[in-house]
Amino acid sequence: MEIEGYLMPDELYYEKDHYWVRDEGEFLVMGMDDFAQKLAGKIVFVQLPEPGKRLEAGKRFAKVESGKWLGKINAPVSGELAAVNEELEENPGLVNEDCYGRGWMYRIRPDDKAELRGLIHGPEAVRAWLLADIAKFAKP
Amino acid sequence: MDLYDLGSVPALDSQLFYHALADLGREGLFLLSPASPYVCVGYHQDAAREVDLAFCRARGIPVFRREVGGGAVYLDGGQVFFQLVLRREDPRIPASRDAFYRTFLEPVVRVYRRMGIAAEYKPVNDLVVGARKVSGSGVGEIGEGLVFVGNVILDFDYRTMARVLNVPDEKFRDKVFRTLAENLSTVRRELGAERAAAWTAERVRGLLAEEFARLLGPLVPREPDAALRGRAEALRPVFQSEAWLLARRGRGRGREIRIRSGLQVLHRLHKAQGGLLRADFELVEGRLHAVSLSGDFFCYPPDGVERLEALLEGARPAEAVPRIEAFLAAEGVELPGVTAADWAALFAL
Repeated sequence: MEIEGYLMPDELYYEKDHYWVRDEGEFLVMGMDDFAQKLAGKIVFVQLPEPGKRLEAGKRFAKVESGKWLGKINAPVSGELAAVNEELEENPGLVNEDCYGRGWMYRIRPDDKAELRGLIHGPEAVRAWLLADIAKFAKP
Repeated sequence: MDLYDLGSVPALDSQLFYHALADLGREGLFLLSPASPYVCVGYHQDAAREVDLAFCRARGIPVFRREVGGGAVYLDGGQVFFQLVLRREDPRIPASRDAFYRTFLEPVVRVYRRMGIAAEYKPVNDLVVGARKVSGSGVGEIGEGLVFVGNVILDFDYRTMARVLNVPDEKFRDKVFRTLAENLSTVRRELGAERAAAWTAERVRGLLAEEFARLLGPLVPREPDAALRGRAEALRPVFQSEAWLLARRGRGRGREIRIRSGLQVLHRLHKAQGGLLRADFELVEGRLHAVSLSGDFFCYPPDGVERLEALLEGARPAEAVPRIEAFLAAEGVELPGVTAADWAALFAL
């Protein structure tokens, strides 16, 4: 689904800070959504913690740097970091080029996939949330 | 809002206090200068790669890796730092980052104007006079806090800044020095030594306090308390450890030094079948400038390299490959073992 020029695939779950989560069975894959990557500008660094790291839902586990801003990435669910996208070490700009594809960031083994229900999902909910954020971010 | 007007503090304390305050989940504004010089690298940087650590060690210049982004900078008592720590949920923080910088750099713009310098805000986070940058700033999310740091540059040691950086060779260092000197300015340079002398660090801290108060509301002066000092001391060994300083072992394929927004000095290496290609160039508002090509590749006729360099002046990086290809075809210049893909790798951004 495209909303005001931002591509927001319907099948994904979204965390309020604009990271997406894709359900791939045993694992969840996450990355930055189109709204966040466009707003951030060129991504110059994505922290890639060691796989095996314990993640707590809503808690910071990595950092991302872009457009003069060093920001935090919170875990969308609790679980274990299973893998990271090593390509981002050399080429963090993949997040800008292909945020839902080659620019993926982390693969997570969730404790309980039911936690996905706490994320934003479904065309109506995503549209309402994104439109509200577009308005919020447009404020001077 | 608490104001910590600390004057001159030991070099590392000039970084530790704001990290500690953010860690404690408190808000406050620090105004201070370091008593002695040091080098400060961005969070994502590998200090060993960016900085000539051996030189710094020999000269007793400490190196610090901050939890804020951006590049390596040389900091000393000729600069006044402002470090604002806000809680992330503070309603004064605009949602958009551009708006944040525009809002929170406004007090700094006003300080420059009160000194008689026509500084202007240039998105995303530069303050400039004409094309010259006069102040640097950055934001990092630390703990539950959002930290906004920057400086008012009274005077600057360009030579030492260029010296502390790790560079491929002295030619590149000279280029960095020259672009810094041309594009980074100071209160002293803008006003002249005589007028600038009136603006001591203490007076500038006073101006910053007044102007930030207009944005933030009344500032209450206070000294660092036991909790803040305690947290700073707890952080000190962490920040001083080799493990922290050298945590980032980025590989990369060259060097890139950002002078100001819209101006970088780059050094690129690429191994082609026909030999090693080296390109040194500036990127000025997205266009190639002063490209210098070298390496151990073969070019016939030999003056082809110089003509290639001239041809790339003013090109966008994406235009480099088609221009090179067209030139080689039209002029009959040969570079065996160097393909379009090699040029693309050399100039890819």
